[in-house]
Amino acid sequence: MNVGATLRLAWTYARRELRGGLKGFGIFLACLSLGVAAIAGVGSLAAAVEAGLKADGRVLLGGDVSFRLTHRPATDEQLRWITDNVDRVSGIVEMRANTFTEDGSAYRLVELKGVDDAYPLFGGLELSGETDLNAALAQRDGAWGAAVQKGLLERLGVGVGDRVRIGDVSVEIRTVIDREPDRGTNAFNFGPRLMINNDALAETGLVQPGSIIRYYYRVDLPDGVTPGQFTERAEAAFPEAGWRIRDLDNAAPNIQRFIDRVGSFMTIVGLTALLVGGVGVGNAVRHFLQGKIATIATLKCLGAPSRLILAMYLVQVGLISLVGIAIGLVFGLASPLLAIDIIGDRLPVAARQGVYWQPILLAAMFGVLVTLVFSLWPLSRARQIPGAALFREQVAPISGFPGWPTLAVVGVFALILAVSAVLTSAQPWLAAGFVLGAIAALGAFALIGFAVVAVSRRLPRPRNAKLRLAIANLHRPGGATGGVIMSLGMGLTVLVGVALLEYNLKTQLDGALRGEIPGYYFIDLQPDQVPTFERIAASFDPPIRTQTVPMLRGRVSAMKGVPASEIVPPPQEAWILRGDRGLTWTAGGPPDPEKIVKGEWWPPDYAGEQLVSFDAEAAEAFDLQIGDTITVNVLGRPITAKVANWRRIDWNDLGINFVMVFSPGVLASAPMTYIATAHLTDEQEIALEKAVVGELPNVSAIRVKEVLEGVTEILANVGVAVRVIAVVAIFAGVLVLAGAIAAGHRKRIYDAVVLKVLGATRRDLITAYALEYGILGLVTAAIASVLGTVAAWFVMTRLMEAPWAFAPEPAIITVIAALVCTVGAGMIGTLAALNKKAAPLLRND
Amino acid sequence: MSPSDTQGPLMVLEDVHLRLGSEAGEVHILRGVDFEAGRGETISIVGPSGSGKTSMMMVAAGLERATSGTVMVDGHDFATAGEDELALLRRDRMGIVFQSFHLVPTMSALENVAVPLELAGRSDAFDRAGEMLAAVGLDHRLSHYPGQLSGGEQQRTALARAFAVEPGLLLADEPTGNLDHDTGEQIIEQMFGLCERFGTTLMLITHDPGLAARCERMVTMQDGMLSERAPAARKAV
Repeated sequence: MNVGATLRLAWTYARRELRGGLKGFGIFLACLSLGVAAIAGVGSLAAAVEAGLKADGRVLLGGDVSFRLTHRPATDEQLRWITDNVDRVSGIVEMRANTFTEDGSAYRLVELKGVDDAYPLFGGLELSGETDLNAALAQRDGAWGAAVQKGLLERLGVGVGDRVRIGDVSVEIRTVIDREPDRGTNAFNFGPRLMINNDALAETGLVQPGSIIRYYYRVDLPDGVTPGQFTERAEAAFPEAGWRIRDLDNAAPNIQRFIDRVGSFMTIVGLTALLVGGVGVGNAVRHFLQGKIATIATLKCLGAPSRLILAMYLVQVGLISLVGIAIGLVFGLASPLLAIDIIGDRLPVAARQGVYWQPILLAAMFGVLVTLVFSLWPLSRARQIPGAALFREQVAPISGFPGWPTLAVVGVFALILAVSAVLTSAQPWLAAGFVLGAIAALGAFALIGFAVVAVSRRLPRPRNAKLRLAIANLHRPGGATGGVIMSLGMGLTVLVGVALLEYNLKTQLDGALRGEIPGYYFIDLQPDQVPTFERIAASFDPPIRTQTVPMLRGRVSAMKGVPASEIVPPPQEAWILRGDRGLTWTAGGPPDPEKIVKGEWWPPDYAGEQLVSFDAEAAEAFDLQIGDTITVNVLGRPITAKVANWRRIDWNDLGINFVMVFSPGVLASAPMTYIATAHLTDEQEIALEKAVVGELPNVSAIRVKEVLEGVTEILANVGVAVRVIAVVAIFAGVLVLAGAIAAGHRKRIYDAVVLKVLGATRRDLITAYALEYGILGLVTAAIASVLGTVAAWFVMTRLMEAPWAFAPEPAIITVIAALVCTVGAGMIGTLAALNKKAAPLLRND
Repeated sequence: MSPSDTQGPLMVLEDVHLRLGSEAGEVHILRGVDFEAGRGETISIVGPSGSGKTSMMMVAAGLERATSGTVMVDGHDFATAGEDELALLRRDRMGIVFQSFHLVPTMSALENVAVPLELAGRSDAFDRAGEMLAAVGLDHRLSHYPGQLSGGEQQRTALARAFAVEPGLLLADEPTGNLDHDTGEQIIEQMFGLCERFGTTLMLITHDPGLAARCERMVTMQDGMLSERAPAARKAV
C-alpha cells in the first residue's frame, strides 16, 4: 500500500471511528484548550495594548520626536535649529518639588510639570473643571493657574479655586487632571502631578543649577520628513548635545518594556498550563488507545500494516486536537475583550480591540506541538500492538518504550517547541530559563514518579490489608501515579516557590522598617544648604545619622572608546546605558575599603587625570578592566575617566549607591546638588521632614517607607499574577488527575465489586482509596516543597543576591492543598465505584 | 503475493517451538509441532485449555513468531518474512474467525466486511462486501453497527469478512463458543459451505467433539505437542 493509499484509508477509518463523537476526550479537550486559551488570550491582549501604543504613539510621546536634556535647557543654537526644522515645537520642564498650602500647615511632594502654550502638540488632557488648559494655567488677577491630580487636593485638603504655594509663587488650582496621556508609566512617581505654565515655573525660583530638572522639546515634523531622518540630522548637527532623542518607534519604552515583560511572563503562564495539560493530553491518548486495542489488533489480523494504524490514530488525535485548539482560540480571542472591559482603565494606553493573528497562530502552533510531543509516544506504541492481542490479554501495552526512532521524532518536536518558545518571546532569556526549568522539572517529576512506582512495588507487604491495597494501587499497570505526580507537582512547586519568595521579600521590607536602612532621602540640596541640613539633623535627640554626597546626572556615551549606541549590553546590565545615571565624586577614601575587589582607590590628595570607581558586577559584564576608559556626558560635556577600581555594591541596603564614583577633577567643578540619607527612629520621621522642608522648601523629601509600600503593592500584584500561574497549572494538574481517575474508573468499579464479593465493607474500600490518594498527595507535596524551596532559594540568593530564610508555612499549605486535590478528586471518582451493586456486574461480566 | 505452489500442502509446520517469557519465567508453549494442511482440507484441533491450540493458530497466522522451526503458508517462509509481509499475507490469503467476533464497533456491518478489501485497494470493496453479507443472509443488516446486531449476526458478519477475499486458509478459534446451540449450528453450516465454495482450507479450534468430527482430520494438542487421530469421515454439508 503506497503512502497516498495509506493516508486515504487512514482518513476514511479515522472518520468512521470518530462517529461515536468525542466521548472520553473531555479531559484531552479541557487540557489543550486551557493552555491554548491562556497563550492566545495573553498574546491578543498584549497585541491590543501594543496596537494602542502604536496608534497613540504621537500622543504618548507628545510629538513626532522628543528631545530630553537633564539639568539644563537646550542652548539657543540648538533651539533655533529645532525651530527652523519643524512645524511646531513645545517645551516642557519636569522636576520634583514641595507644594504647600497657603498657611504652610500642609505640604506634599509633587511631580511638577511646566508647559508652554503649544502643549500638548497632539491629543489632549482629560480635565474636570476648566477644560481649556492654556486658559486654566494663564496668569489671571495676578495669580498663575495650576492643573493638579485629584490626589493632591485630598492630601492638602484644598479644592479647585484654592491657592497653593510652590517655591516662591502662589498658584490657583483651576482644574483637575483626569488623564495625562504623555505621562507614561514611570515606576517611581513620588507624588501627584502639578502642572503650571513655564513662565510661572521660572518665577518659582526652583530652577537652580544642578537641580534634577528634565527639559523636553517635542516637535511636530513637516510632511515628508520622517522621524528617523530628522533624528539623524539632529544627531549630526549636535553630536555632543547629550540629549536623549525618542521617536515614534520607541515612543514609550517604559510601556513597551512593561508590555514585553508582562506579555512574556503571562505567555509563560500559558505555556506552563499547556505543558501540564500536555501530560493530560498524553494520558488521555494513552487511555483512548488502551480502549482501542481490540480494534487495532482486529485490523492487524485483517492485514492492516502498522503505518496505517499509526496514521489512522494520528489523524484522529489530530482532528480532536484541532477541536481543542479551536475552543482554546475562541476563548483566547474572547478573553481580551473581557479583560479590556474590566482592567482597561488601569492599562497605560487605550488597548485596540481586534483580532490579532500573530498571537492566535502562535497559540495554535504551541497547541499542535504540545499535542505531538505528548501523544506521539502512545500513538507509536499503538502501532506496535500485535494482532495476537486478540487472543491473549495484554497488560498496558501502550505505556511501554516506543523505540528510539519515535523518541527521536518526539525530541525534534520538543526542540521545535522549546526554540519557538524562546524565539517568539520578547524576553528570550526569561523564556530560555523557563524552558530549561520546565524540562528540569518535568524530568525530575517523571523520574520521581517512576521511582515512587518502583519503590512501592518493592516495599514489604504491610499487614494492614487496606494499606496493602493502597500501595498496590500505586504501582498497578496503567496506574496514574507518574502522571499525577508530574502534573500536580509542577503547579504545587510554583506555589511553594512564590510563597517563599514573598516571605523573604517581606522579611527584607520589615528589616527596612526596623531602621536598618535609611528612612529618608533628601534630594536637590544646594551645596550651601548642606550645613543647614546637617545642623537640623544634629539637633534631634538622639542626633540623626546622615550621609550627604554630591550628585549630578549624566549619560554613559562611550566605553573603551566605543560609542554607547554601538555597545550591545548584557541584558541584566542594559539599564546602565539606558538613560541618565546618578554620578558622584569624592576626594575621600572608599565607602568601604573591603568592597574594593580590584584595583586601587585614589589617594586623598589626588589631583591627576579623571578616575572612576565602577560597580564590580557591571564592570565584569561589560568587560571593563582597570585602565579602560568610560565617557559620560554631563551637561552636554563629555568627560572621560579611567577605571581605577572595581567596587562591590550591596544594592539591598538602599544606601546611596552609585555605579560610578569619580575622583575629584572636572566633575567637582560642575554645578551639582547634594543627596542625603537619614537613619532615624519612627518618632523622628515626620519631625525631620517638617523641619527640613520648612527651612529648605526647595528640598524634596522622599520617605522610604512610602516608596517601599508602593514597591510592596507592585510585588503583591505580581504575586497575584504568579499565583494565577500556579492556580492555572494546578487546575491543569487536577484535570490530569480527573482524567486518570476517569480512565481507571472501570477497573476501579471491577476491583470494588470483587472486593465486596470477598467481604470488604464500603468503609474498608473508602479507607484504602483514601490512603492511596493520600500517599500520592503527600509524596507530590513533599517533592514540590523541596523543589519549590530550591527554586526560591536560587532566585533570592543567586538572581536577587539577597539573604535567604526558610519558612515552613508554605510547605504545610502545599501539603494541605495537595491532599485536598488528590484525596478530594480521587474520592469523588471512587465513590461512584463503591455505589455499584455487585450482582449485575458479575452477571454481565 | 507470490510464491504460490498449487501442488504442495498449503501449510507446513516443522518442529515448531514457541517459548514466551513471563514474570514467572519462560513458558515452553509449543514443543516441536509438525503439521501439514492440504489445500481445501478441513482440520479440527482439539485439546484441553492451555495445551497450546490458540498459540499454534497464532503462529500459523503469523501473529506470533515461532522460537524455532519452520512455518510456511502458501510457499511463504515466515522466518524470513517481515511484519508487513505477514500482514499482506493475512490480508490476501487468510481469514480469521474469533470466538468474540471482534468486529470494529464504530463501523457498520458493510464497512466491517469491506475492511480487508479496502486494505487490498479493491475498488469494488463495498459491492463485494454486500455480496458476502448476502451470502450469509445479512443483506438487510448492511448499515447496522455491531452493537445493533445479535451475537449470531455478528459472527455471520465476521464470517463474511473472513471470506471476503476468498482466502486459501480460514483459521477459526472456537467460532461458536459465544453462541447458543442453534445459532452455532447455522454458523457452522455456513462456514463449511463457504469453505467448500472457495476451496478454503479450514483450521478449526473447538472443544465440541461433534463439531470436530465434521472435519476431515482431527488433531489433538496436549502439552504443546500434536498427535493425530484417525481421519473422520467428512459429513456431507
